[in-house]
Amino acid sequence: MALTLMKGSEAIAEAAIRAGARFFFGYPITPQTEIPEYMSARMPEIGGCFLQAESEVAAINMVYGAAGTGMRVITSSSSPGVSLKQEGISYIAGAQLPCVILNVMRGGPGLGNIQASQGDYFQATKGGGNGDYHLLTYAPSSIQEVVDTMMFAYEKAEKYRIPVLFLLDGIIAQMMEPVEMPEMVEYKPTKEAKPWAAMGWKPGDDPAKRAVINSMYISTEELTDHTNVLQACYREIEKNEVMFENYRTEDAEIVLTAFGTVSRVARSAVDELREEGYKVGLFRPITVWPFPYDELKKAVNQPQVKAVLDIEVNEGQMLEDVNLAVSGARPVEFLGHCGSLFPTTEEVKARILAMLKEGK
Amino acid sequence: MKKVYVLIGNYGSGKTELALNFAFKAAERGDRTELLDLDMVNTYFRLTERGRMTQMKEIRLVSPNFACAGIETLSVPAEVASAFAMDWDTVVFDVGGDAVGATAVARYYQDFMELEPGALEVLNVVNIRRPLAGTVERIIKLQEEMQIHSRLQITGMINNTNLAIATTDAELRDGYEMIREVSERTGVPVLYTSGKKQFLDRFLAEGHDPKYIGTPLAIDTYMQRDWDSWIHSLDQNPSNPRPGNFYRTNMD
Repeated sequence: MALTLMKGSEAIAEAAIRAGARFFFGYPITPQTEIPEYMSARMPEIGGCFLQAESEVAAINMVYGAAGTGMRVITSSSSPGVSLKQEGISYIAGAQLPCVILNVMRGGPGLGNIQASQGDYFQATKGGGNGDYHLLTYAPSSIQEVVDTMMFAYEKAEKYRIPVLFLLDGIIAQMMEPVEMPEMVEYKPTKEAKPWAAMGWKPGDDPAKRAVINSMYISTEELTDHTNVLQACYREIEKNEVMFENYRTEDAEIVLTAFGTVSRVARSAVDELREEGYKVGLFRPITVWPFPYDELKKAVNQPQVKAVLDIEVNEGQMLEDVNLAVSGARPVEFLGHCGSLFPTTEEVKARILAMLKEGK
Repeated sequence: MKKVYVLIGNYGSGKTELALNFAFKAAERGDRTELLDLDMVNTYFRLTERGRMTQMKEIRLVSPNFACAGIETLSVPAEVASAFAMDWDTVVFDVGGDAVGATAVARYYQDFMELEPGALEVLNVVNIRRPLAGTVERIIKLQEEMQIHSRLQITGMINNTNLAIATTDAELRDGYEMIREVSERTGVPVLYTSGKKQFLDRFLAEGHDPKYIGTPLAIDTYMQRDWDSWIHSLDQNPSNPRPGNFYRTNMD
């Protein structure tokens, strides 16, 4: 299969199309505007729909409507735009609609800046919109990994009837890497596969079989039953869908934790220090909800592990989950920046060496 | 005679890298050189970031006006007029990608038309490994759109086919085949074939028709970013059938 030189945004958009997405609704915002730009060129070629909405709020509600018909739908935005979408995302989660949402994170809070950041981890994993809901959230670290993950994202979304969120950052959208593209999936929803979908109803049809897309359950009992269904689904996802990578942690004395593109800086530091004889490893969550608590605990509870160093481009958000997993068994340190400043390999190495020197 | 090179082309085809190479080569042979950053489209990957490098090479750099660093509101500076008014040997315009980017030069239509005959080269930089320039039809369509938007006639193509750090000998060869067909169908000549020296040398040794190679241009890469030095995350996972090893073996 031929490699193509693709910008992250283009590869992500093409992968969604190849995974069967035929509806894109969005609104431009740096650093992900190339996603709608690419979609606007490609969707008409394959009989899909590209629609630039009047706002993020409109776009996410179009996703709600289109996903309700059972079609494969996608929207993308960046941090402030994703904040605007939160109401709609909560409605979609409540109505149990499968779809894919991309957040190409930039600096925050507020308008922040347009450089890459990881400041929306809390928003992605701990809520965002109102109510008791979760999004199956992937945080891939390379363009190829986004592409590969996209190819099963809709299947997961449809299996659990849950929105899937890709927690990306400005670097992954803007960088160019050679990519191997998978074959196109031609997707057509059927009433059998998606009995919940609103695919049309005419007078004379059985009213009991009418599909209603809804997140409102006025009676206490009904809402309790509904949230119980959602929670049971989340427990299933926690059981089945956790993804992570253990990189050279088997004999590591210092275990790094990092997600997304920052994990590649961490990984470079691991490799360079390994060459110098230091035993360092990296634990990388690929799903950040569900978070791989048990797997991280296992990696950290090995007898030779002295300490954990969490690295993020924020002020310590995943750090809370890392602390939950480690549960005080080892000291956890944090190396982070806000303001979109990325840590360098040298900086990470220096910090690890300092930790080793202190005997941690 | 003043030579003015306008580099347009598909988004991400390598215009900025080539613009720097054109300007540096000109400066090295002692030309009075001006380099203009007219990319109004991509604020993440731009020539102006290499401003200090161009100063070291004694090239005059004209950059867009920034409202503020990191904010994408750009405007074209009045200083662009110096490209036409002043006495340069070589002027290089680095223009934004696709027809959208090419629009920025249309404003200088009168100035371009007043140049001496033969002074202007409008070069379409082609990398067929880019997704929206991967077929003959797409390249021709893009070429027509860019001509309309820029109000300039493309005088030649540059075969700059590459896969960044994963480039192999196949890239220039495949680019040559496709761009030859574009040239035959549109009448636009291939004026340059560019690439890193080792790939270019091996491509030239294959004995293709010089008519569709043009002048070989061995280039250096200046626009590397932090992420180019990062390990590819799928690199060392032996259970993953991805072309991971590619990233290691082809780094040079």
